[in-house]
Amino acid sequence: MSNVGHKQDANDRILVREVKIQNKLGLHARPAALFVKAANRFASDITVEKGNSKVSGKSIMGLMTLEAGFGASLKIIAEGTDAEAALNEIQSLLDSKFLEG
Amino acid sequence: MNKTLATVEDFLKVAQVRLELDLVAGASGLGRRIEESAINRPGLALTGFFQYFAHRRIQTLGHAETAYLASLKDGERHERLKQIFMRHIPCIVVTRRHRILPELIELAEEYKTCLLRTPAITKNFINGATIIMGNLLAPHMVMQGTMVEILGVGVLLIGKPGVGKSETALALIKKGHCLVSDDVTSLRVDSSNDIIGSPVGVIRYHMEIRGLGIIHVPSLFGVASVRNEKQLDLVINLCSPESIAAEDRSGQLALKRSILGVDIPSIEIPVAPGRVVANIVEVAALDQMLKRLGHDAAKELDEKLISVLSKDDKADE
Repeated sequence: MSNVGHKQDANDRILVREVKIQNKLGLHARPAALFVKAANRFASDITVEKGNSKVSGKSIMGLMTLEAGFGASLKIIAEGTDAEAALNEIQSLLDSKFLEG
Repeated sequence: MNKTLATVEDFLKVAQVRLELDLVAGASGLGRRIEESAINRPGLALTGFFQYFAHRRIQTLGHAETAYLASLKDGERHERLKQIFMRHIPCIVVTRRHRILPELIELAEEYKTCLLRTPAITKNFINGATIIMGNLLAPHMVMQGTMVEILGVGVLLIGKPGVGKSETALALIKKGHCLVSDDVTSLRVDSSNDIIGSPVGVIRYHMEIRGLGIIHVPSLFGVASVRNEKQLDLVINLCSPESIAAEDRSGQLALKRSILGVDIPSIEIPVAPGRVVANIVEVAALDQMLKRLGHDAAKELDEKLISVLSKDDKADE
């Protein structure tokens, strides 16, 4: 979808990072909203994969369909000039357990 | 596209309530794959004839099979059933609440094969299970996009985050159209090679609207405002005016988008601030309906124009 008419830029990079859900309630509405808020601060396309499911990291509804509970592994793919910063930001959010333990 | 695999567990998840299935024995076989969507009645296999035995299918023991098994001697019955279990079948379903033979339970545990029971009559079980299996094994994918039904036309709205897919869908719901799915849509190919869209999992019937958060659509707009699945007729790409690939002001360029190998008519609508996209989407759906009925306004006008122009040519001569 988003790659329609999308030109490969020399600065564009695709970075992939495996992360784990560390808060007890999993990726429910509030963490999903925080995740999306963080992801939307970056220009990069952000995709989140769990098993066979692949959704946009900028969509709350998408993240909630992953049904990612405590301990679930996610693959986060960032593509764009600020890919690395985006992944670091999301990683630190997950590491902080979305401030809910 | 997801590779289409279905296990007995996947089947049960969908079919357990609908077909009133009970797992009687062999729970360790829940992970076993079902590779074909048809349901088999292993009548000939029970007589010992195994050529062409459809062992990749769900096996059903109905009235006739149960009666036949009852007519066999104990040892023989065990041996025939064992022959079936040995062929690595996905699972066995006993219909009509028939008494479960002790041999079946014993063999189900031994061969780690699920043994299920349903009160349904065999014909109804087979019809229901075939549809469920057909859907489970159909090629499918999950796509970022919001799906609505506009007067019978299934429309998938796609576009970059923040372009206004959900807001447009909300405006359409307010006009009396239905929501199929917000932001994430599951798509599959059905037996007549149409694409069917449906919502994904827990977020069904919910929408996320910037500034509002999450809303439950049927609570706000009534049960008629949602649909559980809908054939996809049109893909609308909402995009910024500058990113549009080949804007066609004459309306004659027929774009197609391939989804799971099926070509779906597609249009691109430039979204500018203040433009009421819902109206345009609504008319696009109506126009699509008209095209399906054989009327293409853009083409017809052009034909008229050409015929007028050619008359003028003659007048000049």
